[in-house]
Amino acid sequence: MVLKIFFPQCCNRADSGLLVGRWISGHDSAVVLAVIHYPFIPGQVKQYVQQMQAKSGVELSVLGSWSLPKEGQEGMESFLRDLSTIFPQQRWLQIHREIGKTGFTCEVLNRDQNGRVVQQETKKKSKKVEEEDGEAGGDKEEQEEEEEEEKVIFVHYEQRKVMLSQLHPIQNGVPDPKTDPPSELRQMFQTVATSQPLFFMDRYDDGPLKSTHWQSEGREASIIVELLKQASVPLCLLISWLLSIWTWICNIRIFSLYPLRWLSSKLSTCVQLSYKTEHMRTLSSAKPAAGHTQFMRKANILVSFLVDVALGMLLISWLYRDNHIAMLANTLVPAADHVAKELDELLQWLMGAPAGLKMNRALDQVLGRFFLYHIHLWISYIHLMSPFIEGILWYGGLSACLGLTFALSLLSDMVALLTFHIYCFYVYGARLYCLKIYGLSSLWRLFRGKKWNVLRQRVDSCSYDLDQLFIGTLLFTVLLFLLPTTALYYLVFTLLRLVVVLFQGVLHLSVDFINSFPLFAVGLRIFRPYRLAEGVKFRVLCEEPGTALHLLMEINPLKFSTVVQMYRTPTYSCYPKDSWAALVKKLFVGELIYPWRHKTIKTE
Amino acid sequence: MGPDSAPGPAVPWRKVLWERQPFPDNYVDQRFLEELRRNEGIRQYRYWAVVKEAGFVGQQLSCVAIFITLWLYMEQGLLSPERLLLTSLVCALLGYGLHQALTSQMESGCELRTRLADLQSATIFLSFTFGFSPVLKTLTESVSTDTVYAMSAVMLLAHLVSFPYAHPSTPGSLSLNAALFASVCLASRLPGALHTFAMLSCALLVFAMWPCLLQRLRENAPSQFTGLCVGVCIGGVGGLGSQSPGGAVLLALALGSVTLLCPLLLVMLQRHKDNIQGPWDEAEIHEDISHFLH
Repeated sequence: MVLKIFFPQCCNRADSGLLVGRWISGHDSAVVLAVIHYPFIPGQVKQYVQQMQAKSGVELSVLGSWSLPKEGQEGMESFLRDLSTIFPQQRWLQIHREIGKTGFTCEVLNRDQNGRVVQQETKKKSKKVEEEDGEAGGDKEEQEEEEEEEKVIFVHYEQRKVMLSQLHPIQNGVPDPKTDPPSELRQMFQTVATSQPLFFMDRYDDGPLKSTHWQSEGREASIIVELLKQASVPLCLLISWLLSIWTWICNIRIFSLYPLRWLSSKLSTCVQLSYKTEHMRTLSSAKPAAGHTQFMRKANILVSFLVDVALGMLLISWLYRDNHIAMLANTLVPAADHVAKELDELLQWLMGAPAGLKMNRALDQVLGRFFLYHIHLWISYIHLMSPFIEGILWYGGLSACLGLTFALSLLSDMVALLTFHIYCFYVYGARLYCLKIYGLSSLWRLFRGKKWNVLRQRVDSCSYDLDQLFIGTLLFTVLLFLLPTTALYYLVFTLLRLVVVLFQGVLHLSVDFINSFPLFAVGLRIFRPYRLAEGVKFRVLCEEPGTALHLLMEINPLKFSTVVQMYRTPTYSCYPKDSWAALVKKLFVGELIYPWRHKTIKTE
Repeated sequence: MGPDSAPGPAVPWRKVLWERQPFPDNYVDQRFLEELRRNEGIRQYRYWAVVKEAGFVGQQLSCVAIFITLWLYMEQGLLSPERLLLTSLVCALLGYGLHQALTSQMESGCELRTRLADLQSATIFLSFTFGFSPVLKTLTESVSTDTVYAMSAVMLLAHLVSFPYAHPSTPGSLSLNAALFASVCLASRLPGALHTFAMLSCALLVFAMWPCLLQRLRENAPSQFTGLCVGVCIGGVGGLGSQSPGGAVLLALALGSVTLLCPLLLVMLQRHKDNIQGPWDEAEIHEDISHFLH
């Protein structure tokens, strides 16, 4: 039988006393949490242990005795053995260490059913153990008789790090009884993490007991953290009050009219606003974070928000300096003019004989003139707006103080508005082309004497009348010969639209990235890697013959990719709605494509 | 005993498999292939009857040739569209009268309704064609001449191949559509919108109306039908000959081979027919539901 004892490194040089800790149920191991020194009154120790058990919810008990004899403290051995009768346990550990030697010796006293005390010797082990997330080293043998030799392994751990660490994958709440009980490692981590009340008693306390643990030199606190904690309460109250006013404004009836609501769902600025409101609501809720995941999410949101605002301020400081806004405004109108001129030339080229293709001249002229007139309207609109552009840019730039994401969303919306004519052209071209393709396919079926059976969803033969055949063939001929012209216009405008969509997609992706990247988690992983633990690794400390095996347990931090994947904030990320094949098919048939779709935030 | 041994026991062999017989499973006695039937249902073709039927095919070929002749005349400006329109109208009226005369024995009553329906159809045709003729005229402007000719040729060939020779009055979709497509392609090459309109009306007459009349004639006056076929063939060759003698020669050759040579081949090759039928064929169900009707 192998007995594992998890021993904190801070207690390696503690004075002699009693070991307080927990036996891990289901496995042959014990976690030592603190050492209570001499002199003590056993009754007070029992009371203290019961108090701590009630406060922390951990099944604490006195595990055994620890002796590191200094000068003038001989004769402790028999005293320690008698202690085992005072604290009735199933097993009693007697750990002994000599100054100058590194190894411990451990004696395990077992009580069998009759209450007789049986002593067993330790045995040295020479196996190296590597564990990942609590798969026990499978060395258990059935204990038969009292003469069985018991092997003891001391696993040293750094108490503060294990207390702050979180083992992944995270199991929240009460573990399901149907699944396997939590592993040994997980139980050990949980024990240390929840035994915080035990670590409040430092050596400056005036109580009757003195103990040694990681915090026994005095509790540390940081003034900044305390000040922030104090300041955060009124800040949260303020933010919640502001949010409630904002929500009330948004829910005014006038904003619930259909066109405004549809418009606000399309403009990415409004979507960002609602998204940020949700985040603020999460941050400013009065309840503290329950559980590690929620805490990480709140922290990530806060850090992302702060970084966002910092980047936005940077943008503002660049924008409002050296008259950049006026320069931007002065280049915007000529840029729009230039785009319109390019479109003009493109249409003139299409109205000629582009690339030697066979265009129907009459239809060509009609379509070309139609689109040219639209461009002319658009240019006059831009010229009308040109005095106001600077003002709009100035006030729009102010929105970056809410965050860089806002500025980017505003830019995306402005691009959408400025290229609205391209969108219109695309819709016209696509609708015309779609109609043509639909008509052609139907008339081609008529050409061969078949028709589409809607009930059976298949093509059936059909006997048409003479006039149906005649008119059908005429229309088919007309549509067929006009196909190259329409197809070319459709192709050109679809390409333009795709360019605009691509640009907007890039903006949205960067906004999404800023929103969802878990900066806090990555920072934690870099600066405090022990807080996000994936597992542990063991290093052999001491393997002297005659003493037990000593291992040092070091925490294996999570990989960066796992950190990012686990802690990224869910966003309304845009992802492609169709696969490539479906997209190409839609383009071919002439259906209108909206390649990006926004996921709505799931409300809990 | 083996499979090739002398005649076995006195028990005669029966062609059944459910009974254990002293013969092997693949044994057949001397009645092998007794039930084989050769060339059952073969028809004896008589040469001149086949020639008469093939004349219909030749007639259709000549129709197409006449249509092309008319187009050639219009393209060269030798035929004005107004004259063509007038002639078409007159022919249409004559043909309609003939058609009605031939059908009057079969149906009684409902003549007025049929006439109104016919008038409505005619109005739709003419108005539609007239309205679309400016559009149709510019359809193939940018397409090269060779492409137009090639397309029309292919379409007319498709028309000839898929023509319902057995019962021409129900218009076969593919054949009529192919012919109209070809006529639109050719008509769009003409100089004016009125030319296009005239050409299309003529096409309608030749490809849509003429077969209906032919059907009636074939049913009711077979001997005149044969004479008409011959007349159309001669007219086709002559008309094409006035424009291009080479074309006329080609047409005559084609007509000769279709009408005279192919039937000869058919009759001669009947000798080499060797169909075998027997009990191994798929069963055909001859539906006789009269005994259900009691």
